[in-house]
Amino acid sequence: MKKDLEKVRNIGISAHIDSGKTTLTERVLFYTQKIHAIHEVRGKDGVGAVMDSMELERERGITIQSAATYCTWKDYDINIIDTPGHVDFTIEVERALRVLDGAVLILCSVGGVQSQSITVNRQMTRYKVPRVVFINKCDRTGANPKRVTAQIREKLGLNAVPIQLAIGLENDLKGVVDLVTMKAVYFDGDNGENIREEAIPAEMQAEADAARETLLDTVSMFSDELMEAVLEGNPTEEMIRAAIRKGTLALEFVPVMIGSAYKNKGVQCLLDGVRDYLPAPREIENTAFDLDKNEEEVILESDPDKPLVCLAFKLEDGRYGQLTYVRTYQGTMRKGDTIVNSRNGKKAKVGRLVRMHSNEMEEIDSAGPGDIVALFGIDCASGDTFTTPDISLSMSSMHVPAPVISLSITPVDNKAQGNMSKALNRFTKEDPTFRTFVDHETSETIISGMGELHLEVYIERMKREYNAEVNVGAPQVAYRETITQRADFNYTHKKQTGGSGQFARVAGYLEPLEEGDYEFLDQIVGGVIPREFISSCDKGFVGSLAKGALAGFPVNGVRCAINDGAAHSVDSSDVAFQLAARGGFKEGYMKANPVLLEPIMKVAVEGPTEFQGAIMGSINQRRGMIIGTFEEGDYTVVEAEVPLAEMFGYSTVLRSLTQGKAEFTMEFAVYRQVPRNVAEVVIAAAKKAQEKKS
Amino acid sequence: MLKTDLIAKNPMGAFSRDAAGHDVERMGLVMARPGLGKTAILVQIALDSNLRGKQVLHVSVGQTIEKAKVWYDDILADISTNAKHEELAALQLEVSRNRMIMTFNASTFSRPKLEERLNDLIYQDIFRPSCMIIDGLDFSTVDRKTLADMRELQKEANLSLWFSAVTLREAQSETVVKHDMPAPCDMVDDLFDTAIMVQPEAGDNSKIFLNVLKDSTGCVPPGKSLRLDPTTLVVWGTYF
Repeated sequence: MKKDLEKVRNIGISAHIDSGKTTLTERVLFYTQKIHAIHEVRGKDGVGAVMDSMELERERGITIQSAATYCTWKDYDINIIDTPGHVDFTIEVERALRVLDGAVLILCSVGGVQSQSITVNRQMTRYKVPRVVFINKCDRTGANPKRVTAQIREKLGLNAVPIQLAIGLENDLKGVVDLVTMKAVYFDGDNGENIREEAIPAEMQAEADAARETLLDTVSMFSDELMEAVLEGNPTEEMIRAAIRKGTLALEFVPVMIGSAYKNKGVQCLLDGVRDYLPAPREIENTAFDLDKNEEEVILESDPDKPLVCLAFKLEDGRYGQLTYVRTYQGTMRKGDTIVNSRNGKKAKVGRLVRMHSNEMEEIDSAGPGDIVALFGIDCASGDTFTTPDISLSMSSMHVPAPVISLSITPVDNKAQGNMSKALNRFTKEDPTFRTFVDHETSETIISGMGELHLEVYIERMKREYNAEVNVGAPQVAYRETITQRADFNYTHKKQTGGSGQFARVAGYLEPLEEGDYEFLDQIVGGVIPREFISSCDKGFVGSLAKGALAGFPVNGVRCAINDGAAHSVDSSDVAFQLAARGGFKEGYMKANPVLLEPIMKVAVEGPTEFQGAIMGSINQRRGMIIGTFEEGDYTVVEAEVPLAEMFGYSTVLRSLTQGKAEFTMEFAVYRQVPRNVAEVVIAAAKKAQEKKS
Repeated sequence: MLKTDLIAKNPMGAFSRDAAGHDVERMGLVMARPGLGKTAILVQIALDSNLRGKQVLHVSVGQTIEKAKVWYDDILADISTNAKHEELAALQLEVSRNRMIMTFNASTFSRPKLEERLNDLIYQDIFRPSCMIIDGLDFSTVDRKTLADMRELQKEANLSLWFSAVTLREAQSETVVKHDMPAPCDMVDDLFDTAIMVQPEAGDNSKIFLNVLKDSTGCVPPGKSLRLDPTTLVVWGTYF
């Protein structure tokens, strides 16, 4: 069966937390008849929304993992990725965006453009994802879609123009005016499933005419045909849709739609919008790197007969083993085919192939370009590329940030120990920002990630899904060390007390590196250190970087240069030079004026204006640097940079300061030097901990 | 080293201190038609205070925090020619520690609101500006009372307060000759100690001058001019 690729849409739904993503997705599934009843996210029936498939998500009312879902709307196949809203899980958002062709950005009609929407929008721009905006929650008190549209233009810098108007707002929300068809649309029936089109209410005609004119003015820029028709006064619906589509695909225009998913208003129109304005897989250019040709970029073609290229973007461990979500970009994957993981060259056979609907699945025989499907029994990590055996292409790797926070976990008993390992093994494969290792000195298991909530969620999942109860240590900030000036060293490692001895002398200097973590510079002339031992020196330095002499934290930003040395014809060895390099590093390090670095987070606190003083005070107390404040009406945003170490427990403090009316988001910004007085405390604590260990 | 050099070389220093280096508080105004670098000039005036360790409050009406921040980073990078990467980064960080950006919607900006914010900062000892920039206020709609209020605030808080204003197109041609304030600022002339007009040379947009129309503090004699680099919008050189 050859599918009509023009009728496929791979879309994501992303937004600020609590903007109603999951509720909207639930409605979409209902109207596309994938589900037959609606369950609210925090509904009284206790069933929860279908997309929130994990128990924890249902309980907290937030979506953590993006579930891929397939549905059909008016003969179009739509794959939906429901993406998480919290900044701590942005890797999931970024990964989802990578495999999407288009996206729906949801904004709350009351909250407007909030900090997370800005982050998500930036990510969408980075991955060149065409988008439509849906202003949700128009039934809520204080709803103001006009203000939100103005914010989209100002804060997100998008050329956003409404293609609908709301008929009534807040409690009076009745339906929408479609500015393309110039008809009023109402949603009748218990679940808004019956659409009724009527003439625009007389009192709205003037407003609608003006709004349509603005729309036509803007989109006629994308179509000469439409511009002429507008001048002649006879633009057709098809022309307008084509122009909106053209502008949207070129990332130069963003259509704004309006409604309330909770009140079942406007969702079907949004689905029409997805069909009409978001791209089919063929309309998006995807590229891969040719590993045989020095990573030359190649453009992938959405042709089912070309060699297969697909990307594993998400892993899940289910009842039937590992489930790998893949997006095919080129070629066709069939049951029984052999595919190759281009990262490690491992071959695998395609066993079961399924299309996912939240946590139910549908068996299929093949998947063509643009499909999003799941495979069983394939061992890989997320971000791996699979191809047919005769080509060697890799999709560009995704940007993975380094973790900024860590904590120790200790299983409560032996049973938990085994389960914990299983859980960690799976989580690290699924989420590259979540890492784990064993501290050899304390034998404790350390997990690290992008924020407190990020780690908390994994600890809860361990308990619920793997029955692994663990004791959790206090969160630790991932400090680093670096040097601030150049320092020379000249170190001789000598053990020649009979028998085979060890001898090596290494001299050179350490200096700060502007960019990057480490650089090795070989300035040896005349072979005073034999060639074969140069790499030993490099190894020795690398070994020293793991633990700085200042407080035992990893060392970054150092250039290690060697320019002199000596060797012994019998007693010099790889080990001797490694030890000499380590000795040299130690000698030079403390002279190079080492300092402590700490992660600084970009924090945005949003809340009512009356609390602005209190919010700024709370940031100031946390060694925060207030970058600026933004005020609009009764609502204010304070942007600041605050050391991560000071942010523990901030949500509780903020809640009590503002009667629970303010919220904050944070993401890693940069590593910066710790002030001297604070550094002294950190170093003393680190030394004490080390003494305790030994 | 870089810092002392920048302070010494900044020709805008004359708009915040006297020849002996003492701060001279004032209410100042930079006028130009759109796109001639008003914000850049205000930022350079602010940087003089900022680099000398004084705190600067940058109030932007209708612009985002990010945009205002970028102005400072860019101007600093442009004037720090030959500075090493890490030296510049350290200076940018130092400048941002002594600077706070407040953005308002055009419709929500008022003296009581600004004063409330300012008091929030001062009473909690978070920030105590000695220089305040108000960029983007629409002088064609703002009333005399608002500016008179601001003048009062400037005197009470004992700080330097600088505004930018867009001049009306028809008022731009003859003003240099008359040394008067162009419309719409002519109605509030008396409230300001210092007024600067930014103008390109007649028929030549590659030469932009800063003409000092008025300075009652006596630091810069009126009628003096400075040149502005039209690509970077950085003010260079000495008065002529």
